[in-house]
Amino acid sequence: MVKTPNQTRKPVTSSGSSPRIALIGCGAIAELYFLPALAKQSSVLGFLTLVDQNIDRARKLAEAFGVKQYLADYREALDKADGVIIALPTQLHHPVSMEFLSRGVPVLCEKPLAESADKAREMVELANKTGAVLATNYSQRLWPQFAKVKELIVERSLGEPVDIKYYVGELFKWPTVSGFYFNAIGSVRGVLRDRGAHVMDHICWWLGGKPKVIISQNDAMGGSEAVAYVKFEHNKCKGEVKLSWLSSFPCKFFVEFERGSIEGEVSYPQSVLLNIGGRPQKRVNLKSESYTALGDRIVANFIRVVVGKEKPLVPAIDVLDSISFIDECYAAATRFEMPWYGIPEVIK
Amino acid sequence: MTSNETILVTGSGGFIGGWIAETLYLSGSANVRAGIRSWSSAARLARFPLEIVLCDVLDKESITQAMRGVTCVIHCAIGARDVIVQGTENMLGAALGSGVRRFVHLSTCEVYGHASGQIDETSPYQYTGNPYGDAKIDAEKLCWEYREKGLPVTILRPPIVYGPFSTDWTLKLARRLQSGNWGIFNEYGDGVCNLIYITDLIAGVLLAANHECAVGEAFNLNGPETITWNQYFTRFNAALGLPELGTIKPQGARLRTTLVEPVRSAAKFALTHFRAPLRRISQRFRLARLAMQSAERSLTTSPRSAELNLYSRNAVYLTSKAQAVLGYRPKFDIDSGLKLSILWLDHLGLCPNASVH
Repeated sequence: MVKTPNQTRKPVTSSGSSPRIALIGCGAIAELYFLPALAKQSSVLGFLTLVDQNIDRARKLAEAFGVKQYLADYREALDKADGVIIALPTQLHHPVSMEFLSRGVPVLCEKPLAESADKAREMVELANKTGAVLATNYSQRLWPQFAKVKELIVERSLGEPVDIKYYVGELFKWPTVSGFYFNAIGSVRGVLRDRGAHVMDHICWWLGGKPKVIISQNDAMGGSEAVAYVKFEHNKCKGEVKLSWLSSFPCKFFVEFERGSIEGEVSYPQSVLLNIGGRPQKRVNLKSESYTALGDRIVANFIRVVVGKEKPLVPAIDVLDSISFIDECYAAATRFEMPWYGIPEVIK
Repeated sequence: MTSNETILVTGSGGFIGGWIAETLYLSGSANVRAGIRSWSSAARLARFPLEIVLCDVLDKESITQAMRGVTCVIHCAIGARDVIVQGTENMLGAALGSGVRRFVHLSTCEVYGHASGQIDETSPYQYTGNPYGDAKIDAEKLCWEYREKGLPVTILRPPIVYGPFSTDWTLKLARRLQSGNWGIFNEYGDGVCNLIYITDLIAGVLLAANHECAVGEAFNLNGPETITWNQYFTRFNAALGLPELGTIKPQGARLRTTLVEPVRSAAKFALTHFRAPLRRISQRFRLARLAMQSAERSLTTSPRSAELNLYSRNAVYLTSKAQAVLGYRPKFDIDSGLKLSILWLDHLGLCPNASVH
């Protein structure tokens, strides 16, 4: 049971000392993403604490990034942090965030926000109750190619979206330190939870709601899936998603509207292909920053959220639909036919 | 093999090791412990609720952990020379110390080097300068040393293993055929393509892991058909539903290979040392990215010099010993193996023209 305080914690003000940030979890995402971004916030670095149950790992990263404080137990940071960044294995996002939120401490949680929509909702509800800000690192919402789709849908210049195709196929190479994706402490959710977190969030964000699952298939054989296929509908719009950790294919999205279409690449934020009213397709350049700069913005924003100067770029409540959509995809999933797994008698 | 025993499969993050671990799990014939070098190679295996452990064959502590309670080792880990040679020695030492009932070492027909004709297990080792084949010879020699020390070792020498999850002989070849740059190579492609479908190989591995007479022996394993490389390319191409292959003139192929080789080395160097900046450039500049993609396509769809040598080699690896001693009987002819391979490629969205649609 999480205790909730009666009073909302006041934001740290910039007139005092810099906010004390705790980075909970020192795995690959901390090393490759959060710490480089935090290192650019010179005023924060001196008050940063790294936390990992593997204290050697925390010490190693602290030394590498010039951080003075590190801890093995996040509970020691409960009353000492003005804001926390949760960079733990997914199944720990909920319990650890809940402890900080219950004390009114602002949280920036790595994606996916939680293992299930129920847990994500609990986090959002608790944040509402205690007044703590709960932000989440669905950083791709800032990427201009995805924002352009949202812009077209909102301004309705091409009419309603009628078809979405979204494909992401990349061999899994994430240098996970704990192996939480795959080992016993992890869950049995795979590529749909991981790469699908962004993809399904884009779809729900674009459409302004959660689509209905028509078909959901994956290749899990009692473990976590590495290939997933989903077909969906939302109002006039239908669509499909294919995700793979086992093969590389062009990572693209296509959105067809009543009077045109847009096509973009997941890893190329500089431009999209636009088709307006049957005219020839043209490449439209987008104002873009590097991925690193876009990632830095999420962290810089969170620091300003902690000191009460900004609202979060991606509040957790905004991604609830996508987590619920993913839950429904898992609930409806059937296994692909994979005849190459027929085991001949000689092996039995 | 009993359902109570625990079998460690090293190299389970790879094509063959992964298949062995998956098959052992599906057949329910033993507890399988899938050893991987790092978690980043676990995505395929983790689809099954089997035990996955870190087992870096160059790290003795990691091996000790992975070997706990193991009664049989199927050693598939490969990599650079140190992984193949030192890694095998580490595994052999650990297996001897644990008193396992069997150590099956996955080797290769490459240990016979450039030998041609009908090759059985009595053919001598032949070093060729090919780092993989040479390292495998040295690893086999270590296996024989440990056999002398009392370890019940069996060595298996498969040739070209294809099927679902095969990178080299299924996935990359499909991409080459789909590129339109691939073809038949006349006399350069008229060598024997010793193909074994993955399931046949696994059947051989499991026989070797269990048969009493396998101890201290080496066995060639091969498929049931003998075809040329040109025939393999033609049949694979047809199964993919692609237009008929053209002929690549031998002189042209050799010249192209020779010209491309230094470019390939330079590209490999650049990717090894400058991957991050190259990635940033490709994300920032579309033309640079298109140029990189085009160069990559060109490099990956040109045969290497060593490949042309392989395609013209006239060696047939005989399996009569495996048939007589182990009762090995390969089941999958090329068409059956290709059919399943294409279904797998299609599943991954990699063969839009195939007749499976």
